[in-house]
Amino acid sequence: MASAIQDDMFTPDVIANPYAYYGRLRDEDPVHWNETYELWVVTRHDDLVWLTRHHELFSSAVFKNDPRPAYPAIDESDLGLYEYVRNYQGDQFIQHDRPDHLEMRKVVHGYFTPKSLEEWRPFVQKAVKELLDAAEKKGRMDVMRDLATPLPVLVIAEMMGVPDPDRHYIRELAEKLLYIGRGEHDRMKLLTEGMRGMVVYVSPLVDERIVNPGDDFISVLASGEKAGVFTRHQVLVNTSLLLLAGHETTINLLCNGTLAFINHPDQWALLKKDPAGAAKLATEECLRYDSPVKSIQRIASEDVEMRGKVLRKDDRVRWFISSANRDPAMFANPDTFDINRWPNQHVAFGSGIHHCLGATLARVEGQEVFKALAERFPGFRLDNERLEYQPSITFRSLKSLPINWQ
Amino acid sequence: MARKVRVRVDHNLCVGNAMCETFAPHVFRLNDDRQSEAVDPDGDPIEQILEAAESCPMSAILVEDAETGEQLFP
Repeated sequence: MASAIQDDMFTPDVIANPYAYYGRLRDEDPVHWNETYELWVVTRHDDLVWLTRHHELFSSAVFKNDPRPAYPAIDESDLGLYEYVRNYQGDQFIQHDRPDHLEMRKVVHGYFTPKSLEEWRPFVQKAVKELLDAAEKKGRMDVMRDLATPLPVLVIAEMMGVPDPDRHYIRELAEKLLYIGRGEHDRMKLLTEGMRGMVVYVSPLVDERIVNPGDDFISVLASGEKAGVFTRHQVLVNTSLLLLAGHETTINLLCNGTLAFINHPDQWALLKKDPAGAAKLATEECLRYDSPVKSIQRIASEDVEMRGKVLRKDDRVRWFISSANRDPAMFANPDTFDINRWPNQHVAFGSGIHHCLGATLARVEGQEVFKALAERFPGFRLDNERLEYQPSITFRSLKSLPINWQ
Repeated sequence: MARKVRVRVDHNLCVGNAMCETFAPHVFRLNDDRQSEAVDPDGDPIEQILEAAESCPMSAILVEDAETGEQLFP
């Protein structure tokens, strides 16, 4: 008889290789009740698509509507901090349902359309070039530290109109915000430090853009306040949401994609043959094969039946992109990295009305980075065989990715 | 006479983001799979249809002039 599936999703082997663990759940128990964290784990592609497109059944107001304590458990002395986190997270536009969500999304949507973001491509190309110029002389770099982190921070800071000298500070705060997806019992301290730091940092910027709006993204959010769609607190937390979401996920795309090429020399050779022509589909395959975001949560709005299980109103429902994007029912040879794969209906950006607002931006950054790497460092190698991932249930984040081309 | 257009949604791309339905509610409707269908190309003014197409995060909406076949979006 097959062994029972253990429910700790933070063990080193699950963090190192989510595909084995969530893949097994997908094959054996696709709508699985995780007793340890008291939540449903949904792992099949068609179930994810169905779930995310039935937003009336699964609420995105997770922090507002979840009556249970934080998981994994946090220090009892930090319960006050957790309330702060709930209020902070709960005011983000992605943590709203219709009809409010639609009004909020309409404020920000136009800034992120494919047409608007195509105008950012030259800025991205220039930033990639400068970062690679700086690295080239050294003969080696940490893709994480020297390319994947500074690039999206540069882009999002430019979009926000954040002054140059502040970018390091923004990244520091963002590192603390990442504790939202972690399991450490004392994580609320760093998390709230990051949140409070963001609010303090962003407040004067918002004050200024309310009076003197420009074409930057904070001005877009401020226009939502003037129109009565956002409160001031919502403008502040959405600014910090965009700062975080705008780069952490992109860092993962760039690192995980680069690593996929390192591990698949045949696909790297294909990209090198025609970097400009192949980068678009290759980026989609990077998004599918080792997705930047592993899982996202909803709360059941009513009793819902899925695959013979009854999910009760207010139950936590966590859907796993990592396993859905390797689902053999959706993808031929799902564990094969194939940069010509098309169509490629991955769910790396989710689906439905909450489909990632920044998807196109991430795509542009991925396409430009993979293209530039193939053109400039065609013979690069991994500098260290021992790679580690952050112990997060939400993000698939390498800690570093050292390469050399000497 | 107003210009007539043909509208198509590529279901290999459509993720059901539903912004098209917001901008041109008489042209686009979500089907049972919650993907968008162009149900009536004459349902809304062409400006709204183009706004809907532009708002699609997947560029899944194709708009053509019904007479000439000229591609108006993307």
